[in-house]
Amino acid sequence: MIGIEYILLAGSVLILISTAIGKLSDNLGVPTLVLFLVVGMLAGSEGPGGIQFDDPGLASSIGIVALVFILFGGGLDTKWQDVRRVLAPAAGLSTFGVLVTALAVGGFAHYFLEVPIEYGILLGSIISSTDAAAVFAVLRSKNVSLKGRLKPLLELESGSNDPTAVFLTVGLLAIIRTPETTLVNLLSLFVVQMGLGGVLGYFMGRAMVVLLNRLRFSYEGIYPVFALAFACLIYASTAVLGGSGFLAVYIAGIVLGNSTFVQRKSLFRFFDGLAWLSQIGMFLALGLQVFPSRLVPVMTIGLLVSGFLMFVARPLSVFITLAPTTFDWREKLFISWVGLRGSVPIILATFPLLAGIPRADLLFNLVFFIVLTSALLQGWSIPLVARLLGLAAPLERKKSHPLEFEPVVGSDTELVDLTVPYHSDVVGRSIVELGLPSNSLIVLIGRGDQYLVPSGGSVLEAGDTILILVNKADLPQVREILSRRKAPDD
Amino acid sequence: MKITDILTEQFIKTGLPGATKEDVLNALIDLAATSDKVQDKEKIREAIFEREKIMSTGVGSGFAIPHGKTDAVTDIVGALAVTAQPIDYKSLDEQPVRIVFLLIGRDSMVGPHIKLLSRISRLMNKEEFRSRLLGARSPSEVLDILRQEEATYLEA
Repeated sequence: MIGIEYILLAGSVLILISTAIGKLSDNLGVPTLVLFLVVGMLAGSEGPGGIQFDDPGLASSIGIVALVFILFGGGLDTKWQDVRRVLAPAAGLSTFGVLVTALAVGGFAHYFLEVPIEYGILLGSIISSTDAAAVFAVLRSKNVSLKGRLKPLLELESGSNDPTAVFLTVGLLAIIRTPETTLVNLLSLFVVQMGLGGVLGYFMGRAMVVLLNRLRFSYEGIYPVFALAFACLIYASTAVLGGSGFLAVYIAGIVLGNSTFVQRKSLFRFFDGLAWLSQIGMFLALGLQVFPSRLVPVMTIGLLVSGFLMFVARPLSVFITLAPTTFDWREKLFISWVGLRGSVPIILATFPLLAGIPRADLLFNLVFFIVLTSALLQGWSIPLVARLLGLAAPLERKKSHPLEFEPVVGSDTELVDLTVPYHSDVVGRSIVELGLPSNSLIVLIGRGDQYLVPSGGSVLEAGDTILILVNKADLPQVREILSRRKAPDD
Repeated sequence: MKITDILTEQFIKTGLPGATKEDVLNALIDLAATSDKVQDKEKIREAIFEREKIMSTGVGSGFAIPHGKTDAVTDIVGALAVTAQPIDYKSLDEQPVRIVFLLIGRDSMVGPHIKLLSRISRLMNKEEFRSRLLGARSPSEVLDILRQEEATYLEA
């Protein structure tokens, strides 16, 4: 047994190298996850690092825990307002679309590479989901800005399709090991998994909001601890009850992220950091688990499957699933290209290893190779493809102006701009005369090309724009005052 | 910033069809959404109608200035229409509306948004200017009238 100090030494050095190398990703345009994997591979027994690590069980456990935090963090960052409108197409892509991808790859492997059909579909299932971590990282990076509904759709899809892939993989393994498993069994299992995952995730997310607001911890530092444990509880209890824990944490994250609760900012920070640590830890572990020399024999077949996945299976699945929607062909083509594979396939590829089915290590290496090619080729070229297809939006310009404001979370006060109607009774009156609600304040008057800082004696003119800070409940009263008409003989 | 900085012929319509306030607002939003500064038309629609709920933007004398702020545009976007028929816009003075100026600002750019709003509502408060706009037969004519008016406004 190696002493803990050596494990910590190796772990901390690897993580530090990974954090430093993250900067390279901006310059090279290579997705960070690939860099983390490479660090893991170099540190492994076949690289200069020489660390002996061959424990698929541990790698798989690290991967699952990491994925829980990545999905929860991804959910927190998902704005419900944005995703609401893409709910149906995203749900289609992450269930039916995933199935189409898995079957297409399975068919290809069976008919062209002479793999037994159930192994082919197992391979297809393992690589059928797009990667939330990779997609989030690429779409939120500084050099892509997308038009319209594409970004929320791609993020929601990548966050919610892993449960389907997990399910398909587990199902296929069941079929391979116990051939009496029927499709009906599997289908009902699917419904239970998704239904339970969705419902439990939603309600436990709500419960978390209520608890965060009710429990008044004496120490601020306790809040992240509470949230961390609760996220794990959501995953574990859902999984124990037979639901999809991954779906549950993702949905709970969305619920939490779109609610008002105490310590919101610090919890967001905490989970952001945790998600990064998870990504680095997971890819390092998976990189350590792979032996580069064993990738060489699967290169040819890996390239074939990977090419088929990128250029045929994924587009096929996207075009079929989105046929009834209003997305045009360019958008569909782009969605097809943002089919980045990432950690989930590698984690899933450890399942057959653990199940002990024949040739599982070949499968693991093959999947690893496919993920590498997809992450490299697609991850690198996404900004370029977006521009070529005319889907890139101009990058937001950051300007500074005398006034900037953000809605204050948890406060019911709003800053509203109102135009003084031409025939309003307030025209020609001073602000003190108006009788505005006591806790409202006119912050600024725009008149022609001027800003006026108002005082109580300022007189309003027709067509003035007033910026008023007002309690939401008092808005009707303000409207009523401004809407009073000047008497005809005034 | 001048009105004619954000308004080109592309964003001007004369004889805009439509019978209701909703028709006209939707048509103007569609027109504004032809701009490459617009990332998400539906968000704009939401912002505009949401703002309209707070208080009607029909400021009177047959003019309305629907506006809203959103993060779905990269810069300020505007659109101007003279409608084919008078529209019941729930204006304060109960006069039907014929001239509608749509202004969409960025959440983070309150200053320029307010300046443009004030400038537009100030210009439109002139009877003579409004009647010239109503007489315009094409977007390019509207634009000419606007340019002239802004020029004299600046000198004044």
